[in-house]
Amino acid sequence: MNQSHRYFFAIVALLMIGTTRLFAQDQCYVCHSAIGDTPSTLFQHDVHFKKEISCAGCHGGNSQMEDQEKAMDKKAGFIGVPKGDLISERCASCHADAAKMKKHGSSLPTNQWEGLKASVHAKLAVSGKEHIVQCSTCHQAHGVVSPKDPSSPVNPLNVVTTCAKCHGNAAFMRSYNPALPVDQLEKYRTSVHGIRNAKGDRKAAECASCHGSHEIRGVHDTKSKVYTTNLPGTCSSCHSNAEYMKEYKIPTDQYERFTKSVHGVALLQKHDLGAPACNSCHGNHGAAPPGLSSVSKVCGTCHALNADLFSSSPHKKAFDERKLPECETCHSNHEIVAASDKLLGVSAEAKCSQCHSTTQNPKGFESAKHMRMLIDSLEISEQHARSLIEEAEQKGMEVGEAKFKLRDVRQARLESRTMVHAFNLPRFTEVVNKGLAATSSVAEEGQQALDEYIYRRVGLGISTLIITVVAVSLYLFIRRYERNQR
Amino acid sequence: MGLGKKIYAWIDERVQLEGLVEFMGKKYVPVHRHSLWYYFGGVSLFLFLIQVVTGILLLLYYKSGEELAFESIQFIMSKVQFGWLIRSIHSWAANLFILSAMIHMFSVFFEKAYRKPREVTWITGMLMFFMALGFGFSGYLLPWNELAFFATKVGTDIAGVVPYIGKPLMTFLRSGSDVTGATLARFFGIHVAVMPGIFTVLLSLHLILVQAQGMSEPMHLENTPEKEKKKMPFFPNFLLRDLLLWLIVLNVLAILAVFFPWELGHKADPFASAPAGIKPEWYFLFMFQTLKYIPAQVFFLDGEVLGILLFGLGGLLWLLVPFWDRKSSRGEQNQAINYVGLFVILYIIVLTIVGWVA
Amino acid sequence: MMQGSTTPPVNESKRDFLKIVLSGGLIAWAGAVIYPILAYLKPPKQAEVEVSSVKAGKLNEMEKDSGKIVKFGTKPVILIRSADGSLRAFSATCTHLDCTVQYRKDMGLIWCACHNGRYDLNGRNVAGPPPRPLDEYRVVVQGEEVMISKKV
Repeated sequence: MNQSHRYFFAIVALLMIGTTRLFAQDQCYVCHSAIGDTPSTLFQHDVHFKKEISCAGCHGGNSQMEDQEKAMDKKAGFIGVPKGDLISERCASCHADAAKMKKHGSSLPTNQWEGLKASVHAKLAVSGKEHIVQCSTCHQAHGVVSPKDPSSPVNPLNVVTTCAKCHGNAAFMRSYNPALPVDQLEKYRTSVHGIRNAKGDRKAAECASCHGSHEIRGVHDTKSKVYTTNLPGTCSSCHSNAEYMKEYKIPTDQYERFTKSVHGVALLQKHDLGAPACNSCHGNHGAAPPGLSSVSKVCGTCHALNADLFSSSPHKKAFDERKLPECETCHSNHEIVAASDKLLGVSAEAKCSQCHSTTQNPKGFESAKHMRMLIDSLEISEQHARSLIEEAEQKGMEVGEAKFKLRDVRQARLESRTMVHAFNLPRFTEVVNKGLAATSSVAEEGQQALDEYIYRRVGLGISTLIITVVAVSLYLFIRRYERNQR
Repeated sequence: MGLGKKIYAWIDERVQLEGLVEFMGKKYVPVHRHSLWYYFGGVSLFLFLIQVVTGILLLLYYKSGEELAFESIQFIMSKVQFGWLIRSIHSWAANLFILSAMIHMFSVFFEKAYRKPREVTWITGMLMFFMALGFGFSGYLLPWNELAFFATKVGTDIAGVVPYIGKPLMTFLRSGSDVTGATLARFFGIHVAVMPGIFTVLLSLHLILVQAQGMSEPMHLENTPEKEKKKMPFFPNFLLRDLLLWLIVLNVLAILAVFFPWELGHKADPFASAPAGIKPEWYFLFMFQTLKYIPAQVFFLDGEVLGILLFGLGGLLWLLVPFWDRKSSRGEQNQAINYVGLFVILYIIVLTIVGWVA
Repeated sequence: MMQGSTTPPVNESKRDFLKIVLSGGLIAWAGAVIYPILAYLKPPKQAEVEVSSVKAGKLNEMEKDSGKIVKFGTKPVILIRSADGSLRAFSATCTHLDCTVQYRKDMGLIWCACHNGRYDLNGRNVAGPPPRPLDEYRVVVQGEEVMISKKV
């Protein structure tokens, strides 16, 4: 007992002596705190202060010397207030060095400086001498605290205002990227993420969640986390994580479903940059699900014709009254597959019959049935025409012309499928009839080519007959001639 | 007097047909168990004439040039009446021509008809055969379709392997370092102007020699007394038979053209990767296949070079057979020649089949 | 030495028949050969293969601020005469789903009827689903004749 007590005191005493000795020796701090200047006041709370890193760690010089002249001698490595890139380089001298970081008992990553140098913020500033952004721009110089600390400017709840200091300043942004909007924070506050963030939810996405923290790249940089083809993956890093999203009680299969959708395939597999990513429908900084009655407007930014037709159709009112999401009701949302004619009509898999039946809304039921019949007959006649052309082609007939006309048929079919969205039988019939007319002219040409094929065979038959007659009579002639020769 | 006779008389009065008829009437064709082979010369001639006629017809619409060649053939096939027929006949007749010339050549070879005094006839015939292969090779590119483009690429590549003259030869053929529109222009010129000119001279020489020297008799008949030999007059008996065969050949061509129209394929795209299974025309297949089997390195020689040199040597020996086969010229049987011929035929047939199936 | 005229009179009737058949057959055969050749020589409706360049019509026939579809080989090309009179040509195949585009006077741009794809008068896709701009063709005016050719 006594023994262990003695040990304990000995250790405490040693520790105390050590600390006093160290700070007794850090003459920079001793003097500057005596003056009570801002840097030394702030430094008291600094994480580096707590890790017993001297002022000289960044400013150079000899912190052991009491004599100001000697302590702040340039020959002793004193650099004064670091300027420009030197700031970040000073930070990086430890933070990019895994060994040094380990020595100080830190498990922080060491790639921040590399990241910053690759980022859009590493472009040269207007002075032409330094990067636009240094470590201290976001992390402050003295009084650096862990991001987990609520007072940290890079704490999830503070990041948005930190970024907005520059990005919300139109006058400042003008000198670097005049076309870049400066209302991101404003929009963000309207988004689901922003509202939660304002309520103190640290898990809700903030700037760095999507743009990255150190390696922030421009949106047109293919390595950027928010580059169109990378964006769905970025969103899914939270939204597909069931554990992380648990408390929000929303599905986590959006990404998975999106990858199967016609949009996801176009964007992620075919790298079609025109295809929509998450932000195309949900917004980016102001991300939120579109409202029920505005779905068609959102889809309509690309599918304008369909949206216009729908908005002027009788369905618009009916859907709004029943609180049905417009396009989504038939086409689903994240997993939008290429629409097929099967959606139309009154069969089991058709969408129309979900609301229309012989008893309920019977007029629409009849129209849907009729429209499906029309579009089917267009498809069948197109197939017929196509098979005629293919048959003719297989038989070696040249049908380039008719194949060219087949384009019109295909176009009419696509147009009729668009026209479905007007939910107006006469207008629909008109487009289908146009297609049927084009089809019949193609079919006619295909038939002509096949007739020509038969004509060739008949011609060959006739000439073969003639040649056979000539050959046989010539043979007989030779035989008789030779008989007579003898 | 019938109209036909009147016309004959009218012409006869002016150009003395009598002499020609008398000359041809006195010309006899030996009749024996191998007489059948005599007809292949005539069939080859007929097919060549068809090539001349259809070739001239195609020339009316064909346009050389990277941008137009393929499209103009498409145009001929679809827009021009009977264009499909003319083009298909030209393509089919080209192949049948080479086949029939081959049969003609081998029959002459086995009968040793090349022996003295017909060495020159053999040489002109062989030269024409080589030119026929050249016609085939150059004509194949003219539609400027994918297969032709890559076959030409491979073909000229092989030519480029020949030591010393290979590279300049390839550049000459391609009109540059690669197969381009310039190659097409060059092949077109060679196909329709250069070769037909030379061919016509050789053909005239060949025919004049055949007419002047008469058909060669098989060696075993040489010692038979003149009276016991069976023979038939060249005119009209043999010529009428020729005519009968020509009619049949023409009909065969028409049937092939109608039932198996020559395909046009896809337009050549110099930047596309070569489609799988590029093969040359069947008459080059045995050589192509052989080159595949020769190991990459034989002693100090490159395998491909060796193959080409061997084929070159073989062709040269074949061409000069009348000069080294002294025995036949002396009228003695030479079995060795038969074995050589048999080996060559079997070799060609087997490797062509292997190449075809592969 | 032997000529047809020396035939004995025994087969007179048969000879006549055979000769008639033979000469009739030969004439018919000649017809069967000559007819396709003559038909082949007859110039086809479309005078020649036109692919590297196409005549798109007369300049004075084209109004300002209008467009028309011209067949270029097997592909359609849209020729546009803009309001200021300048001529431009683009592939008329929409880059979205291969419909044929048209010029919309009211919008002053190229429009695809299938899904409302829009391209500006430089062929750039400006709205709707098209993923790529339209390929441009070269327009050359020779006198009054407007020619379209592939851009090299």
